[in-house]
Amino acid sequence: MAAIQEYKCPCCGGAIAFDSTIQKMKCPFCDTEFKMETLASYDDELKNDQADDMSWQMASDGEWQADELRGLSAYACQSCGGEIACDENTAATSCPFCGNPVVLTGRFSGALRPDFVIPFKVNRRAAKEALKKHYEGKRLLPKVFKEQNHINEVKGIYVPFWLFDTGANVNMRYKATKVRTWSDSKYDYTETKFYLVSRSGELKFEKVPVDGSEKIPDDLMESLEPFHFSEAVDFQTSYLAGYLADKYDVDVEHSAERANERIRKSSEEAFRETVTGYTTVTKETGSIQLQNGKVTYALFPVWLLSTKWNGENYLFAMNGQTGKMVGDLPLDKAVYRKWLFGLTGAIGVALYAFLYLLWLL
Amino acid sequence: MMKTLHKRMAGTFLVLLLAVFTISAISVLSVSAADNASRLVDGADLLSDSEESDLLYILDEISERQQVDIVVVTVDSTEGVPVGAYADDFYDYNGYGFGDGRDGILLLISMEERDWYISTCGYGITALTDAGREYISGKFVDDLSIGDYAAGFTRFAELCDDFITQANSGEPYDVGNLPQEAFGFAGNLVLAFAVAFIIALIVTGIMKGQLKTVCSQSAADDYMNKDSLHLTKNDDLFLYRNVDRREKKEDDNSGGSKTHTSSSGETHGGGGGKF
Repeated sequence: MAAIQEYKCPCCGGAIAFDSTIQKMKCPFCDTEFKMETLASYDDELKNDQADDMSWQMASDGEWQADELRGLSAYACQSCGGEIACDENTAATSCPFCGNPVVLTGRFSGALRPDFVIPFKVNRRAAKEALKKHYEGKRLLPKVFKEQNHINEVKGIYVPFWLFDTGANVNMRYKATKVRTWSDSKYDYTETKFYLVSRSGELKFEKVPVDGSEKIPDDLMESLEPFHFSEAVDFQTSYLAGYLADKYDVDVEHSAERANERIRKSSEEAFRETVTGYTTVTKETGSIQLQNGKVTYALFPVWLLSTKWNGENYLFAMNGQTGKMVGDLPLDKAVYRKWLFGLTGAIGVALYAFLYLLWLL
Repeated sequence: MMKTLHKRMAGTFLVLLLAVFTISAISVLSVSAADNASRLVDGADLLSDSEESDLLYILDEISERQQVDIVVVTVDSTEGVPVGAYADDFYDYNGYGFGDGRDGILLLISMEERDWYISTCGYGITALTDAGREYISGKFVDDLSIGDYAAGFTRFAELCDDFITQANSGEPYDVGNLPQEAFGFAGNLVLAFAVAFIIALIVTGIMKGQLKTVCSQSAADDYMNKDSLHLTKNDDLFLYRNVDRREKKEDDNSGGSKTHTSSSGETHGGGGGKF
């Protein structure tokens, strides 16, 4: 006995029946007509849905050599709880995150050994110049802030990053329409054609970085991107000389969520771009399965400056590889109001005069 | 005896002839049938006696000066006749209008359904175009709505006067050429400063934006290997189509007046609405 196949109308979702007079499937609710084959293919597409799979494997097996650790000192900040390391010839005096004094707590220990490091490329002088430039041309920045800044406190620090490598299998399904309009002497016509668009394929991601330090805001680090991994080298403690190093305190599982979000967004955008020639495209469903997702641990170079102003902490960062400078600056409310009302007044008077001229003509 | 009779008859004839000449001479100058029908017919009794005489004075003065009849008629009901046809017929059968063209403008108010209708004839059609009528009605219908009929009618008469004067210059008020409104000092002031405030907000918003350089990256495009994108399935399945048919709207922005023929065969323009 043949199984009875029941189809749902792609247009309204109602149960659909065969109409013998037109020899087509016709929805009794919305009167849309379909070819039998169309519905069969549509049904197949719906059955192909897969669930997401975004799991990762730790590829890092870095173990510290005993003599490597011996050369590193650990410091702790009594104020914000930040922990940093530096080689024994470099003395850390203040916390790079909050500016308060740090104390030596002994030898650096624990945690994984980084797999890679991108060495500093931009020196301290360039970092200071960049910060000065960062203040320029910003009219709403409080004047006091420009004068009070203690630009010399800028510190070079290696920030821990988790790097995610993966291949992604992506399945996307869209509803798309093509709209065509034409007219005759009496009527305007609008024809809308509806399509089910399916896209499947593979995509590779290499070294998607996620900040592994809790002390440094994720958005600040993401604003510094991109870091070019092509310049990374195998980790050696000698790279730490003269700089501070933070150790990771956000684990891989936690960081993976952020990496997954970004990979999903990029995959969806990349696949969406392959759907062309339509008037509208709406995503219906989509799933991503990661293949050979692996995680490595690396240190990236960052110049940090922490500044206190009006009781608030402002953290500026510069990409130690590319020289990109970021950091939110405070707003001088009095200056802001002056500009707002000054502009309103000036533009208002000009507009009023313009309206009057317009009326005269 | 016979002679004196003849003389008398000739005298009478002469007097009669003179009278006919005089009348026809006058009628050539200003044949307005308003001689026998008043330019104000307040059938619905909306005006007081003093308002009536004031309005009639204005209507007569404008009509005589412009040589175009301005007529105001109020009725309780049009007795089932469409208000437009009633206005046209009222105009035709009461013999309003100056000259051969029967130049005139008639405003009819019917209280039953609160209709107003302006019927134009002859030069009135030229002076009061469809667009002009829309403009005029925007000025006096509000007065009718609140029951200030005397003010509404007076306003109507004055506007007709302006429109006829403008039409005499050879360029009647019409689409794209309507009377200029007075400059709204307060309204434009509020408008100018509201727009200025929005612009100022945008400008200072941009300045504020310069202070903020920290933002999350929502995607990982920098780390995507673009060449690695490889599609294994690329299906576009046509499902169904919808065709929507809509009747074309007639574009009516040409100006001038649309005319029709009344029951007596006279050509009229006009239109109306509710108040």
